[in-house]
Amino acid sequence: MPNRNGTVYGLTILSPIIDDEKATPSHDLQIRQYLAGLPTDERSPFASWQNSTQGGQPATHLARLVVMDDVIYVGMPACEEHLNSKYLIFESNLDGGPNGDLDGYLRGLAETAAEHLDAIWSHCVGYPGAGNVDAFVKYMKACQLTTTFFFAAVNDKSVTESLRALQTQKAVAKFIATHQGMPAAQLQAEFLKFAADVKAAPTPRAGSMEHLTAARREIKTGGHNE
Amino acid sequence: MSNINGKVYAMNAITPMKPWKTWILRVFLFLLGYIKAMRADVINLSFIEFARWVVISRRGFPMLGGGQVAEDLQYDYLLFFSNFNGTWNQYIDAFSAALAKGLNLVWRWSEKFPGPVPVTLFKEYIARVQFDTDYYYTAYPHATANDLKAAHVVQGAFDGLSAQAAGLSAEQFADAYLNFVLQVQGCLGETGEAPVVF
Repeated sequence: MPNRNGTVYGLTILSPIIDDEKATPSHDLQIRQYLAGLPTDERSPFASWQNSTQGGQPATHLARLVVMDDVIYVGMPACEEHLNSKYLIFESNLDGGPNGDLDGYLRGLAETAAEHLDAIWSHCVGYPGAGNVDAFVKYMKACQLTTTFFFAAVNDKSVTESLRALQTQKAVAKFIATHQGMPAAQLQAEFLKFAADVKAAPTPRAGSMEHLTAARREIKTGGHNE
Repeated sequence: MSNINGKVYAMNAITPMKPWKTWILRVFLFLLGYIKAMRADVINLSFIEFARWVVISRRGFPMLGGGQVAEDLQYDYLLFFSNFNGTWNQYIDAFSAALAKGLNLVWRWSEKFPGPVPVTLFKEYIARVQFDTDYYYTAYPHATANDLKAAHVVQGAFDGLSAQAAGLSAEQFADAYLNFVLQVQGCLGETGEAPVVF
């Protein structure tokens, strides 16, 4: 199934944006304005967005929202043509589990981020609101495109497993560096305590860089030539 | 607008294709999905966390009613979404240098595609068909694709040693620990802020 790669699901949604010449600012600009103020770190709605059928864990690896104004004209001898609608693109790489559970993800979305969803998708044609979960799931599926080819570098680990692995990697590096040349019996005792501590540690929050000691830079541009 | 979050860059691109060519591309992408050897270069380059191509037929744009005017297009469109590590220039340069053959098979069906080599024309084309991301989220902004792969190697080895550590004598543990260190020593790179490259 092209939407899936291992246990990761590639969701692609195109929602037509309302074209209302009386709206000021226009609906696409209202979406952009809202997205510009939406946090991208652990406060992101995606960080708490859970798959309702997979134990309440964050389910989004990476996701983006993009307003597509038009198709692009590449010059003669190609034909110039334009879209009649602008589209909101939602691209998400999510934990679908072995069965590619999209419904659970969309339901979890409606249950944990209804306010944000309504603020964004209320500018789209036919959006029923997140309050009616069944209608919401049906709407999102009506806007879904089948992914033709989907690549995932790591396709068999959940978001939680990846966050924990990154945490373990950092802890193990520190443990190895600070326990060199230690007598075997003492090393074993220290490792057993260390292993228990690592297993008991809470999972880092999705989207967070709070564990880093240095202050986070606010570089957020990334133009074509950066 | 932000195409960057932490160590990952979100690229969006859309290119027009004549509808009859779309089917050739669909066959190629189908084969790419099922024949692992064809994906070896992308896997080995290891700077792409997730990527996808989506072919939209000219009559395939979602139609929700409610006053929406149906699209009237001559071309099918190829959408490309990539989540990669590094800068735009590094990405396109690597694509052109290491994946030229595969890329050509994907994009040669798009109108006016100049080919991945020489890279200057290729960059001009990508810059023309790219559009910017309005909102970008990643669950692990401090990690690259290689960091993730390495972290899962460490986690697997750590779980293995943890499970048996209590039942070993001190000497046996010393041997097992040495094997563990040898197993993970190449996977202990530090994650964190991405370097600034201008």
